[in-house]
Amino acid sequence: MSQITRDQYAAVLEQVARHPAMATDNIHLPENRLRGLSRVLIGLGIGGLIATIAGAVVYSNIKHALAAYLVGTLCVTAISLGGLFWTMIFHQVNAGWSATVRRQFENLMMNLPLCMGFVFIFLVAEIATGGTLLTWMGVDHHTNHLMHHKRPWLNEPFLVVRFIIFAGVLTFLANRLWRFSTEQDRTGDRFLTLKARKTSAGGLLAFALVTAFFAFDYVMALDYRFFSTMFGVYYFASTTFSSLVVVLLITGLIRLGGRLTGAVSNEHVHDLGKLTFGFTVFWAYIAFSQYFLIWYSNIPEESAWFVYRKQGGWENLAAILAIGHFIIPFLILLLRPVKRHPAGVAAVGIWLLAMLVLDMVWVIRPMVYVGIPAAEIPGAERWWVDVAGILGVACVWAGVLASRIGRGPLVPLKDPRLPEALEHRNWV
Amino acid sequence: MAVADYFPLPAKYLPRALQPAPNRHLAADGSPLHGLLAEFDTAPGVYHAAEHVRDAGFTAWDLHSPFPLHGVEDAMGFKRTKLPIAVGVIALTGAGLGYLMQWWMSAVAYRLPVQGKPFGAWEPFTPITFEIGVLSAAFTALIGMLALNGLPRFHHPLYKHEHFLASSDDKFFIYIETRDPKFDRAAVQKLFEQSGAARIDEVTEG
Repeated sequence: MSQITRDQYAAVLEQVARHPAMATDNIHLPENRLRGLSRVLIGLGIGGLIATIAGAVVYSNIKHALAAYLVGTLCVTAISLGGLFWTMIFHQVNAGWSATVRRQFENLMMNLPLCMGFVFIFLVAEIATGGTLLTWMGVDHHTNHLMHHKRPWLNEPFLVVRFIIFAGVLTFLANRLWRFSTEQDRTGDRFLTLKARKTSAGGLLAFALVTAFFAFDYVMALDYRFFSTMFGVYYFASTTFSSLVVVLLITGLIRLGGRLTGAVSNEHVHDLGKLTFGFTVFWAYIAFSQYFLIWYSNIPEESAWFVYRKQGGWENLAAILAIGHFIIPFLILLLRPVKRHPAGVAAVGIWLLAMLVLDMVWVIRPMVYVGIPAAEIPGAERWWVDVAGILGVACVWAGVLASRIGRGPLVPLKDPRLPEALEHRNWV
Repeated sequence: MAVADYFPLPAKYLPRALQPAPNRHLAADGSPLHGLLAEFDTAPGVYHAAEHVRDAGFTAWDLHSPFPLHGVEDAMGFKRTKLPIAVGVIALTGAGLGYLMQWWMSAVAYRLPVQGKPFGAWEPFTPITFEIGVLSAAFTALIGMLALNGLPRFHHPLYKHEHFLASSDDKFFIYIETRDPKFDRAAVQKLFEQSGAARIDEVTEG
């Protein structure tokens, strides 16, 4: 491999800067264009969170409100984690086509500190209440044999230490990759891309471990009796497709507003659509594999988790997930014209985001009334607490995201892979 | 385009209606003419010539180049293949039949109690349903691709044409066959000349 000289590279950058798609108007939103939207979203979100607290007070049931809040938190964390994952994957495999969409994934990734803030609030609430949803906190490990064995992992000090590690690793990776990317916008130093690639190599390994153990701690451990080595991958599967469809929605909306013309073309939409298709199938594969092995082996401590989610109405939600999260998007995304059309993938994207929320609801919500006789479980009239909790977190998250999108350029300005991304085309 | 064009030998034994139309075109030496071959010296030359042939409405023709030419499928007016539709339909049919087969075996024909699980439970059927779906899809894709391309094919008159060997070296060719409904000896000759062919050859059958 030969390296090009500094002068040759300067000529490449100049050529990129002259490309019609890289005109300043095309890759910047008008100043303050998203400021109003951002403020409205954050306002709505805070209102939603206040309503969630009100729900906890009105029904004097903090468990339900915390579960709704946790569903929202896990959904937005999944999307942000996906942003980090794809940014690192694009760097790692040197994906030339992705250069013009990478900034949107970076925007998602930079919401990770906010997500960790949401998780921190949840953690404080849990520890302060002595384990409302993380019921293992209230279990006496002297008398409970299973808890006796799980105590080395499931204890409050180590939970806090793990949270600090998770938040530290994710914030470090996100900030570092963001710094490289924005510094390159200013200086045009092509070796920042190399640094980002090296960071991504180790970063992906750290990401895999953090995502898996994060899922163990905040999703799987809600039922401390349950264990599944697949659970980390189950959550990871949600991070991948959800971040793809959010980026498809963001770029689609920006293109509707007449920006990013030529920079993000239907060729990019097609590729992101293909990845969405693949990872929707991946989710189904993971979800089924986990369920199938537990169903087959039929060991009480494992199958109890699924038994509880296949009764009391939750079996309907499971059926909706199987059909709506897999069969429908699978059949629709098989069609090439859908994957190549911004509106087509946007419609599927909104559908899939709804499925992401329902998936998290199905995993978390049954834990609120676990062990309570069916007659004492309140009816559906408390739905508004769930909606307030989920939308509250999601709106704050989206507001912060919108403000970040509005501030910076919509694509990396001097990425060495831009010439390839600007001319990207699917030959088949 | 008929199967008989690709399999000349079995075509002899086909009913008369399915036999290929007799060739009425003759080469200069009086032997049956299979097609006209135009040679081009440059890739852009053959690319633009392909656009002319496409616009003239020919269907039984091909372009030969020593290396892949990006975008030439547009210049040749290729449409996307319909094969994926066949693959999709047959894969879903195969998966459905595969499920039905397992359900019939486990829940109807030979009910074998396993751990007290329901006989017709969908869970154990899923992997095999998936596998049969993939198998049907893969076979349809492979066999369909071969059939649509007229493969396997053991001989083509171009192989006997000495000058055509340059297509794997440094020359580009466009070949229009006489079986094309729009084929007209003089018109094709004129089209090639107007497209800037460096040389035009007759290719005889055999």
